[in-house]
Amino acid sequence: MPEVFIDNERYEFEGDHMALQFILDQGMEVPFFCYHPSMSIPANCRQCMVKAGQYIKDDETGEYELDENGERKIRWFPKMQTSCALKLQDGMVIQTQETSEEAERAQKDTLELLLINHPLDCPICDQAGECPLQIQTYKYGPEGSRFEVKKVHKPKRVELGPRVTLDAERCINCTRCVRFTEEISETNQLTIVSRGDKNYPMTAPNQEFDDPYSMNTVDICPVGALTSTDFRFKARVWEMNQTPSIDITNGKGCNIDLWTRDNQVLRITPRQNKAVNDYWMPDEGRSAYELFNENRASRPSIKLDGSNQSNTSWNNAIETFAETIEAHSGDDVLVIGSPHASVEENYALNKFFNLLGASNARFTPHIIDGYGDGFLITDDQAPNTNGCRLLNLNETDHKDLATAISKAKVCIILSDNLVGRKVVAASDLGNTYTISFATNMTETAKASDLVIPITCVAEHAASYVNIDGRIQRSFPAKETKYTNRRLNLEMSEGRLDRYGTNFDNWVSEEHKVDCLPLWDFLNKLAERLGLDYHVNHSRTILAEISSAIPSFENVTFEKMDEQQGIQLNLDNQKIKQK
Amino acid sequence: MAEQELHFTDEELNEIEKIKAKFPTAKAATLRVLWVAQKKYGHVEPEVQALVAKTLDLPESHVHGVASFYTQYYKEEMGKFVLDVCTCLSCQLCGGYDVLHQIEDRLGIKAGETTDDGLFSVQEVECLGACGYAPMVQITNGVYANNLTEEKVDKLLENLKNGKMPEFESMVMRQNEKRIKAATE
Repeated sequence: MPEVFIDNERYEFEGDHMALQFILDQGMEVPFFCYHPSMSIPANCRQCMVKAGQYIKDDETGEYELDENGERKIRWFPKMQTSCALKLQDGMVIQTQETSEEAERAQKDTLELLLINHPLDCPICDQAGECPLQIQTYKYGPEGSRFEVKKVHKPKRVELGPRVTLDAERCINCTRCVRFTEEISETNQLTIVSRGDKNYPMTAPNQEFDDPYSMNTVDICPVGALTSTDFRFKARVWEMNQTPSIDITNGKGCNIDLWTRDNQVLRITPRQNKAVNDYWMPDEGRSAYELFNENRASRPSIKLDGSNQSNTSWNNAIETFAETIEAHSGDDVLVIGSPHASVEENYALNKFFNLLGASNARFTPHIIDGYGDGFLITDDQAPNTNGCRLLNLNETDHKDLATAISKAKVCIILSDNLVGRKVVAASDLGNTYTISFATNMTETAKASDLVIPITCVAEHAASYVNIDGRIQRSFPAKETKYTNRRLNLEMSEGRLDRYGTNFDNWVSEEHKVDCLPLWDFLNKLAERLGLDYHVNHSRTILAEISSAIPSFENVTFEKMDEQQGIQLNLDNQKIKQK
Repeated sequence: MAEQELHFTDEELNEIEKIKAKFPTAKAATLRVLWVAQKKYGHVEPEVQALVAKTLDLPESHVHGVASFYTQYYKEEMGKFVLDVCTCLSCQLCGGYDVLHQIEDRLGIKAGETTDDGLFSVQEVECLGACGYAPMVQITNGVYANNLTEEKVDKLLENLKNGKMPEFESMVMRQNEKRIKAATE
């Protein structure tokens, strides 16, 4: 098998490998800026320099030539090589900054050059703390700079588009953003303009950078040149906690990270998953953080007279709910599940009311034909349409649902804005007693007689099945009134040494929503109704689903965590893939 | 400019087709086609860049990037004659700035400006590779006026005002003049 020698260690390899990626794959490090594993390799930042050469082999005998000490002779390449574009060959010798002073020096000098015109305004830069330039300068860079001349000034605070702001002075012209628009989003909206020390990325004149994936350039920008217009100056990265989650704004289920501080989600960034979204996500998904923070249903509310809702206590809500159920037979109760809610919630709700004699829950997919783009934006606007299908809820179209609602005396809706997305009109809900389990005060919740606030994807652990049938799950990222991050072992707590200090990521106890996970509320309701129903956790619900429904066989949170989601078999389902 | 729709004539489109045929991709023809456009309009303002992009079926951003890279493409309307005065080392030593200031004086504009009648633009440029015949001026990306003196500059301006471009001269370094003369005789 072909072999390479990196920092005096021997490695075997098969197939084509570039030195940088191979070195990174071995868990070692070489600094770099412009290289990105999902894009082409321009080798223009020159940061990943290594010293490379080849053991000299005698062509006739096939033996390595040895020097007087019996060591293999090395023919070094005449200059430093950029490891990102250096293809591994049999017998190649590579020395990184760890073993070669020359490589170390080359990297240091490259950084000094990159920093000639960089403003070094880290204290006011949004990228500080997650900036490859900052990190690598500390690690590999020079102590100071010999360039004491005035820096070149370039445009600042340029609004490239509705969501991205450019600070051209910070740019090191790695062209990652340009290559992103050329190779990934294929809108070709960006280019590098001008030349020499005056160049920076820009759109064509009179055009805006309104690419539906534009904010990915902010993520891949290795400096603070491209920043999110929305997130700028809101928080420093080290003040936030990062929790893995799933994008709930469309059917693709992009893997994301929620960044939280003081129980508020401040931004959403993509999390790599080769099987789903690679490193990317659409801009739309990033604004979902507003759904988690604002206009939340907090405390139950009840309609007492006419159309006025007022807040009420949990006890009163449970009592009202129970009395409503007791006053009607199971046949009169219509249960509407939701493609916007998780697998666990839909299952728990359906099972609970089945026990009370209601028929199987219905749901209406939320699909806008022609909305998708074949990449990460889908026609499907809901994260869990396939989950509802696999749970065998009754897929119902708009008309049939309206008919069913008009026949029912009690209508129970699981967080789905049926009025807002024009499946039914608010007036359609007028003749039935409507109970909404709601995360947000949507038109549907406002039109309901009783609103039970439930946790959203940022507050509970629950799973969602995307349009390709991949089941993936969320983690609680923010506390509710009734949870505590020390007690909830699933929550990312932030640094323990900061717990309770002024430097904790939770400085205030505000922004906690007064809501319960759906299953917790059902437990309380079951207790009141004397129903034999109790679940401890969404994990228990999933275990039950996995033993009851063949499609979910062997599905557990642990397995999802290990494998970044599990591909389910959709064969028995009629799935529109859009 | 923006109101009227810009377009290439059939003749120009033919020329562009011929240029395209010389390159493996349309992208590679960007430089040459930008020249065609600049020859026609005298500049490559954003609208002209957009026209080139449309003609070659390329992203506007790419054409913009290329046009902005090269100083020889005029990104705004320039005078009929663009005087590129070299003030790089050799010219500077031989009086490049004198030439520049003389031109500025005579035309009443500063480097980087265009006269009101739209006849002249003056620019200060870096080395044009004519160090042997410094100081020198290039006229509208074309001919060089070499070994300039005060009189020569005045003459040059006068001639240009009358629409007379200087002839292309084949230059010989001063130190080689005698040797070449001897060799040819």
